[in-house]
Amino acid sequence: MDLDRKEFSYHFTLTPEWQNQIVEELDAKLIDNRIIELPEHIGTGGSFFLEVMPGLSVFLLDMTFHIPVSIVRTPTTQQIYMAYYDMGDEMTAHILGTAVHRVGYRSKLGMAFMGSSIKGVIMPPIGERSYSLRLIMDKQLLQEFMQKKKGKEISEKLFDESSNTLFFYAHIDSRSKLLLNSLKNLSFSSPSFQLKLKSTALFLFGYLLERASEFRTSYNKLSELEIASITKTTDYMLANLFSEFLGLKALAEMAGMSVSKYKIIFKKILKDSPNKFFLNEKLLLANTLLKNGAYHNITDLAYKLGYTKAGYFAEVYKQKFGVSPSEDLAKIDKKEQLT
Amino acid sequence: MREVIHEYAVELDWMEDMASRLNGYVEDNQIKVPENILSGIRYACPIDENLTAFLLDVTYHEDVLFKMRNKRDDFVGIYFNLTEGDAIHLMNDVARPVGRWAINLALVDAKLPGDYRIKAGSVSYMISIFLKKKTLKEYIQAIPALNMYADSIFDPDKNTIVRFDRMTSQAWYLMNDFRKMDFKNPLFDTYFKATVYGLMSNFMDQIVNEEIILEKVNQEDIINIIVVQEYLIENIKDPFPGISSISSMANMSETKFKRLFKKITGLTAHTFFLNSKVGSAKEMLETGNYSINQIAAEFHFFDASHLIEQFKHIYGITPKDYLTHL
Repeated sequence: MDLDRKEFSYHFTLTPEWQNQIVEELDAKLIDNRIIELPEHIGTGGSFFLEVMPGLSVFLLDMTFHIPVSIVRTPTTQQIYMAYYDMGDEMTAHILGTAVHRVGYRSKLGMAFMGSSIKGVIMPPIGERSYSLRLIMDKQLLQEFMQKKKGKEISEKLFDESSNTLFFYAHIDSRSKLLLNSLKNLSFSSPSFQLKLKSTALFLFGYLLERASEFRTSYNKLSELEIASITKTTDYMLANLFSEFLGLKALAEMAGMSVSKYKIIFKKILKDSPNKFFLNEKLLLANTLLKNGAYHNITDLAYKLGYTKAGYFAEVYKQKFGVSPSEDLAKIDKKEQLT
Repeated sequence: MREVIHEYAVELDWMEDMASRLNGYVEDNQIKVPENILSGIRYACPIDENLTAFLLDVTYHEDVLFKMRNKRDDFVGIYFNLTEGDAIHLMNDVARPVGRWAINLALVDAKLPGDYRIKAGSVSYMISIFLKKKTLKEYIQAIPALNMYADSIFDPDKNTIVRFDRMTSQAWYLMNDFRKMDFKNPLFDTYFKATVYGLMSNFMDQIVNEEIILEKVNQEDIINIIVVQEYLIENIKDPFPGISSISSMANMSETKFKRLFKKITGLTAHTFFLNSKVGSAKEMLETGNYSINQIAAEFHFFDASHLIEQFKHIYGITPKDYLTHL
């Protein structure tokens, strides 16, 4: 971590008082116990905190930083869980333990769910808008819903922190993304903002619980180190999508684990095998590159992405997106001719 | 005709009395009524100490006259009403047709008595929001243009709060989405609350923008515009019929039609049609059974790119991205 980076630490509570930690450390202004305004020398913009209902609060951050900072969420033993949605314009470096994990626009893994016992560090980009929302949820509330879905016994095991860690990284689902997009257009000072934020938080909470399959039922305790080691390898993969799959052995070595342990823990966090995760991200990147008009030739793109056969690439692409890359390309080319 | 005298309030203590007048009873915040009068759900959900929402999803099998005579006047009712059938609201000797294709949004001070007559065979879908006046006042005070009037708006000697409107298309979509939710789903209350806050936030935007004030518009003109809206929705898959043909349907000059359509719906006729088209296309997309090309053809978009462009414009992401992570 760079030495000139200013570091701030805090931890969440369901009630507004946690904001005082940020206000003091950042020398920021707190308005109505809800809005934090950044001082000019650190950045512009602010954040909005709201209690939505008993057991559920929401924290929305819309800031553009002028200096490098790292914001550290210190682990606590409170019975609180968090869901994190990153909608920033640029990537935000999100560090867990020692590994830098990128969330946001480029890597597209914009969502994380975790307990408050896991430390988190955010290093927002300078001069770019950081826009993220966090749901802060009481364990009991989550447990009540999970009980209705999966039964009492499973729910209790899932939320037993002495033997299990609930944690996952994922893409933001579409319905949540639509809501966040529409919230992003609304200013904090708009008279309808609070109502809209409450509505959004409740919908996001519902969608999160519908993703119940991602709350895995294979229980074991993850250490902070294990999570950090796995995210180190996902980060490596996301940064090297043009290369070939590194191989389980090398990835496990990078994580300092045996291959079998690596596979199990990887799946617990990313809900996919390392190989499938890598190929999926590769195809999403291919899709983005085609849409950006960066490539006008499928064979070039296939080679660039490390596929030796363009035909095979086209086949898996079509499997994922329902249309072949050449169809997508034709559409882009047509559009370019028109404009 | 069955007559039901009742009251509403933010507190739920009115439910027992209303239930007994409908020969029914209260269970889990639901008013259960014998099937020969009406079938469906009447459910009240307390949202916070200042806000309660009451959901009506029922079919009437008898003509009923509801006479609202509130005992408390510390709240307002905000009614989002998508009833299809014959429903009339009577207040101060003025009868207003209400429901999906008529006035479908009303803000009414609790101190005003009002009658609501609904005929057998009508299908009612309505969300009523009961909000403490002090909370509404806080919301109004947050609107810069209304801040200085807040005191006189809430002064019972000077003003009575009443407003009849058409809901925006965003509000309509919120209700329409929520309507698909199964009452038995454990997340029902969560989505109900989310929808109610969404409707309220939309209503605030509507007040701020002051796009729609029906009281100043001639009743007959309103009905003519709504008939056109209904026609557009029924033919949502066809190409846009053109201003000249729909304005003659409304018996208006094109200039008058355009001005009134915008005033009543908040959108131009073309934008209203296109937004509704893309909204319906999104619903078809969500079924997962059709390709974007098929949907574009079904709804008479120029081509798939046209649909994609419009979808992105409205929802901020492409249909493909939407589908990939659904």
